[in-house]
Amino acid sequence: MLQLPFEYFAKETASNLWRNRVMALAAVLTVAVSLSLVGSSLLLRQAVNRQIGEFGANVSLEVFMNPGAPRQQIAEVRSMIEQTPQITHFTYLGPLQSYEQAKRLLASSPAAVSTLSPAVVPTVFRCQLATPQDATALVATFSNGVPGVYRATSPLQSIHVLEQVANVLQVILIAIALLLLISSLVLILNAIRMAIFARRREVSVMKLVGATNWFIRVPFMLEGLVQGLLGAAVAVVIVLLANVGVGYLVRHYHVSVLSSSVLPAHDVLMTELLVVAVGVIVGVVGSSVAVRRFLEV
Amino acid sequence: MIRFENVSKSYDGGSAALEDMSLEILKGEFVFLVGASGSGKTTFLKLILREEVPDQGQIYVAGREIGRLAPSRVPYLRRNLGCIFQDFRLLPNKTVAENVAFALQVIGRPRSVIHSQVSQVLELVGLGQKGARMPDELSGGEQQRVAIARAFVNRPLVLLADEPTGNLDPATSQGIMRLLDRINRTGTTVLMATHDVGIVDTMRRRVIELDNGTLVRDQARGVYGFDATTSTRGVPAITLGVARDGEPPTGRLAAVRARRGTR
Ligand SMILES: Nc1ncnc2c1ncn2[C@@H]1O[C@H](COP(=O)(O)OP(=O)(O)O)[C@@H](O)[C@H]1O
Ligand SMILES: [Mg+2]
Repeated sequence: MLQLPFEYFAKETASNLWRNRVMALAAVLTVAVSLSLVGSSLLLRQAVNRQIGEFGANVSLEVFMNPGAPRQQIAEVRSMIEQTPQITHFTYLGPLQSYEQAKRLLASSPAAVSTLSPAVVPTVFRCQLATPQDATALVATFSNGVPGVYRATSPLQSIHVLEQVANVLQVILIAIALLLLISSLVLILNAIRMAIFARRREVSVMKLVGATNWFIRVPFMLEGLVQGLLGAAVAVVIVLLANVGVGYLVRHYHVSVLSSSVLPAHDVLMTELLVVAVGVIVGVVGSSVAVRRFLEV
Repeated sequence: MIRFENVSKSYDGGSAALEDMSLEILKGEFVFLVGASGSGKTTFLKLILREEVPDQGQIYVAGREIGRLAPSRVPYLRRNLGCIFQDFRLLPNKTVAENVAFALQVIGRPRSVIHSQVSQVLELVGLGQKGARMPDELSGGEQQRVAIARAFVNRPLVLLADEPTGNLDPATSQGIMRLLDRINRTGTTVLMATHDVGIVDTMRRRVIELDNGTLVRDQARGVYGFDATTSTRGVPAITLGVARDGEPPTGRLAAVRARRGTR
């Protein structure tokens, strides 16, 4: 029925973009930078969450015994742990097991491993807590002069710090990204405004000969959409590279603590889709506002 | 084809640009719209195009009341109206053929149709050989022909012309008038606002004269000037048998010439 003149729209949009290339480039780059920040901060958030999940699932409280602590003391601590209702489950790593684990953790520095022996490695009770919130109180209980206890630690404490750092970082990144998104919106709006101005003669002829409003608007809307999409495309590549880069660092430097920061493809894909969606929204909103404000049809 | 019923229009804060205007223009007529600068000619044309809306009264174009036309229907109204201006309004970065083709492109006509229609209409306006030229390589008269081709390529019911010869010398204007006459003979209604005394006098077509926004004369085969002895001021021309039939009295012509001489 209605023939859509795709060729006409494509040509108009391309020639508008080319005519306005400096403004268009500025808009595209700003979109790219802001969306890269949005994407990376989302990936950071997911990585931190995974990392926390990992720590939290494995162990919530570790009670280290003095190396070579007498059986008696170990038995007392064991019964003390058994009588603590907040601890749902625990395992005891004896001297050999603790030594094996220490070797694994220090695999990247053989010099340190050579100084270890089962006799000098503290044995450890690994406990799981019903609720992570109890961690701090229990760490205090077990550190305070329980005979034979070297020290009690909870990764949940450092996780808490990690989480807070990540939160602050994410808030900062999102704030910067928002500012940049607003500027990219303004830049796209302005680019479209200039395109409309450059085409005012064509637009007035179009109105005169009876072109419909949407027909007049489409090339300008497309122009904004293309700018948003191009920016998003650049951001997608940057976010992908960032993720690949973290993976490389983890593998190459054996930063095994961060191994769960390498996100599965599915999470990365979802983040990239979101980046593209935000790019489209910024482009469409910017050009819609420009078309509404400056194109009197 | 076009009917005004008690149409009034005033711009913000100004006095009335048109006042209580009632008249009818029939299909296939050739009508001159004359009057001093500021008398409301352009406003009259803009109301037909629905670039302006009347404050009061109704305007019918091809049987439709356009005052209450939804904005989304306005483009379809304009597809039935061709339009030319004193300043041609061509697109300087497009060739002659592209300028004409543009009018069809932007209303979504398929490419095959555009191609044949454009070359046909360029032949009609006498620019068959100049389709590849740029507008600034053409004379003023040729540029106006391109504008006419663009206005006519979609075969509108009505051609509106706002002082189309205002920038042209008399000889060139004659050519443009011959072209408009030819277009009129295809059945297209032509409504032309003009200051050009010579043209109105030689064409001898219906003349509608405006003065300060009011209709002061509507004469079937009129001349430009206004003659008090056959004044039709305030009386619709339809009722004036004298003015409709044949040549006006010689005394009237003489009076007009005298008036022109004193200018
Ligand atoms: N856009 C406008 N805003 C305000 N006043 C206008 C506008 N257009 C025309 N007018 C006024 O309306 C009257 C009629 O103008 P116009 O229709 O252009 O007359 P003409 O074409 O016969 O010279 C004039 O007094 C003019 O100043
Ligand atoms: Mg005028």
